[in-house]
Amino acid sequence: MSTTIGVATPAGAGTTGDAIIVSGVVKTYGGVQALKGVDLSIPAGTVEALVGANGAGKSTLIGILTGRVAATEGTVTINGIEPTPGEPRSARAAGLQAIYQELTIVPGLSAEDNVFLGMIPSVAGVAKRRVIRTEYLALCKRLRVTIPARTLAGKLSIADQQILEIMRALVAKASIILLDEPTAALSASERDSLLALVVDLRLQGVTMIFVSHNLEEVLEVADHITVLRDGLVSREGPVSEWDRNLIVSEMLGSSGGLVAAELAGDSDRDADATPLVITDRPAAPAAGTALPLAATGISLPGLIYDIDISVKPGEIVGLGGLVGSGRTTLMRCLAGLESRSTGTISIGGAKTSWPRTPRAALDAGIALIPEDRKNQGLVLGMTAMENISMSRYGAVATGGVLSKSRMRSRTAEIVDEFGFDAKRLGAKAGNLSGGNQQKLLLARWRFQTPKLLLADEPTRGVDVGAKEEILRALRRFADDGVGVIIASSELEEVSAVADRVLVLRDGRLVDEFTRQGEPVHVQTILNAAFGESHHTKENSGV
Amino acid sequence: MSDTQVASVGRTRKDPDLVAPKRSLKSVASYTFLHFGMVWVLVLVIIGAQVVYPGFLYIGNLSQILSQNAPLGIIAVGMTMVMIAGGFDLSVGAIYAATAVLFADMANKFPLGIAVIIALVLGVAMGLVNGLLVTKLKVNAFVATLGTASVFGGGAYIYSQSTPIVVTTENFQDLGLGLTFGLPNATWLFVLIFIVGAFVLSRTVYGKSLYAIGGNAEAARLAGIRVDRLKTITYVVVGLCSGIGGLIIASRVGVGQADLGASIALDAIAVVVIGGTSLFGGEGAMWRTGIGLLIIACITNVSDSIGLDTNSQSVIKGAIIVGAVALDAYTRRRNG
Repeated sequence: MSTTIGVATPAGAGTTGDAIIVSGVVKTYGGVQALKGVDLSIPAGTVEALVGANGAGKSTLIGILTGRVAATEGTVTINGIEPTPGEPRSARAAGLQAIYQELTIVPGLSAEDNVFLGMIPSVAGVAKRRVIRTEYLALCKRLRVTIPARTLAGKLSIADQQILEIMRALVAKASIILLDEPTAALSASERDSLLALVVDLRLQGVTMIFVSHNLEEVLEVADHITVLRDGLVSREGPVSEWDRNLIVSEMLGSSGGLVAAELAGDSDRDADATPLVITDRPAAPAAGTALPLAATGISLPGLIYDIDISVKPGEIVGLGGLVGSGRTTLMRCLAGLESRSTGTISIGGAKTSWPRTPRAALDAGIALIPEDRKNQGLVLGMTAMENISMSRYGAVATGGVLSKSRMRSRTAEIVDEFGFDAKRLGAKAGNLSGGNQQKLLLARWRFQTPKLLLADEPTRGVDVGAKEEILRALRRFADDGVGVIIASSELEEVSAVADRVLVLRDGRLVDEFTRQGEPVHVQTILNAAFGESHHTKENSGV
Repeated sequence: MSDTQVASVGRTRKDPDLVAPKRSLKSVASYTFLHFGMVWVLVLVIIGAQVVYPGFLYIGNLSQILSQNAPLGIIAVGMTMVMIAGGFDLSVGAIYAATAVLFADMANKFPLGIAVIIALVLGVAMGLVNGLLVTKLKVNAFVATLGTASVFGGGAYIYSQSTPIVVTTENFQDLGLGLTFGLPNATWLFVLIFIVGAFVLSRTVYGKSLYAIGGNAEAARLAGIRVDRLKTITYVVVGLCSGIGGLIIASRVGVGQADLGASIALDAIAVVVIGGTSLFGGEGAMWRTGIGLLIIACITNVSDSIGLDTNSQSVIKGAIIVGAVALDAYTRRRNG
């Protein structure tokens, strides 16, 4: 507070009382109650974590808090003001600023211009550049970051872009910042600095609402945790009352008891324990079956250097590595999305030419579940079944004429396996939860089965229950003989599901661990990813 | 259950999830308003037309409306496919004029059938050029077709030496003026092309793929859809449609003229957009284009019939276009 220079003293900073009071909020969407009467109060200057499975009503509550959604009943009070429902401006004026997973950075503007976007200090319409610079540097100092003021925002990392958004919120004199899944796209070290920033801001009197699927983070950073389930507050209390098991069981409720027990792992909670084990035995390659993938010398100038990779039948290969290590790029090369990449490749024992278009990759039998399911995976305006059968409309057509009933019945056969309700096949993909959207992409490649399935961040932004279903689905693909490669920034998942883990660093393959008896440890992967023990392979199983 | 409902409204290709079992009267009302708003506008236009011009609803007049607007309608069918796939074509007017000129000239030199084929090949070729510019050279569709409109249009003037090519060949005017089973040939041709277009768009693999491409080209590409190829085909289709439009107009007036297509490109886009097909691709339907065409055609017909001068017509037409689309945007925002 006292460290700020002229800008952004949070309006409610230092004052006691509640920054946000939600009382009796009900939201009904066409007869369905998304929220059934939620009460919540957040004391000023604290960090409140909001947790809930997909469909618990979390997104709706966020929408109501930020004013994007008008509540059917009940009220929201922000810093003592009751903003006009359904008007985001009004909630912002009251002091609440939300930072979403999809950042609102203008890539072509500089870092400082992004921070002052729409709030440029000016005289008679002429921007006061010196003031902007001084205030920008003050903000950097306050947040203990150094982001060059004139760098184009589009060239910054996601983490830095996110910090620019936080700065923008502070410039807008927000006293409450809502962070929606802020760490989903960050590497481990970036995540740590963001969490440190959250703690810092809290000390400066900023109230924060922290929404995350990552329970460790929640436990680390929050003062108070509220778990939503089925549109109601299932339990709330100070962080001291919570542990991981309790959060998971409150999230899933009695119906998810079995999953909860499995996900929570041992009752003596150990953050480093692997809670989830999907692959519980060594891969047993069927003798005489051709390798789903054998590729050598994969290169992409400046990004990927001479990587050899193979996948055995029934095997799931995990790609470990930090953000920027080349995991995604390697998958894009294999999927035909990097036309400048080179290499030699055999799919299912047949040597084919290096794929330079997605179509060529698919013809060879390589399918990709992309990292960004909304922008690269799904056509959000089309129905679930149209999205599933998109991999091959011809399969439900006769002479080029589609049969809607065949589309429905064929896709219905498939989705059951993935725990997707066949009744929702006619729903638009854009109206489905993240977990269900991901299931559509899995189902798409069951509809038209490839020889090699590449899954890039398949569980990003989905809740624990759906996460497990997705990983189990990948296991089934492998058991059916499809080669599977998975990349995830959540190494616990890679560890839980992979038979073998390849670790990349700076576009090079630096290490390989094969699971023997027990999963490859997360710490093992991390060490290799950071390059701390890349010559030691002692930890590759027992 | 929803399957049968879907079948019953099959042509509208609307989503079964919106045909939910539990729906209040209010949501039914807002559903129909949201999805069929432009139908109500058309009904209002027809009622208004009948009030202002009592001869409006005579069969003769209605038939004339369709035949007069057949070239525009046929081009709009192709434009709908281009726009649903996320594209845009400003050169249709130039293609229309160029094929009309070439058709007239060829009809003076060769048998009529050969002249038709040559003219249509030109339309297809021009569409192919547009398609390749957009998909292979990645030129923005707006800019690419603005450029080719100038090239094709200029070419038509050069070819015709800026003078109308009068055709004296027998039967040349059959297509534009002849009747079959009591209805103008141009009307039959339009109805046929419209039905084929609607079928392709709503029922075929190709049509469904166009929606996917317009909705999210990257996702479609990753799902294995040949995005570039299918998009190019939409430009070829609209080129062919423009060519057919050119044949009809040349045949109707008995002359090939390079200054024919001045406003038809924007009219075709207006027809598609008024119907409610998205300018950004991925959403829309052929029946919507039919509604849009009828709205524009009715307004033009009434204005002509009551002897309104072209300047006033232009003002009224423009206001109705903006008003209709604003209403559409409003209802979508309210209900979506």
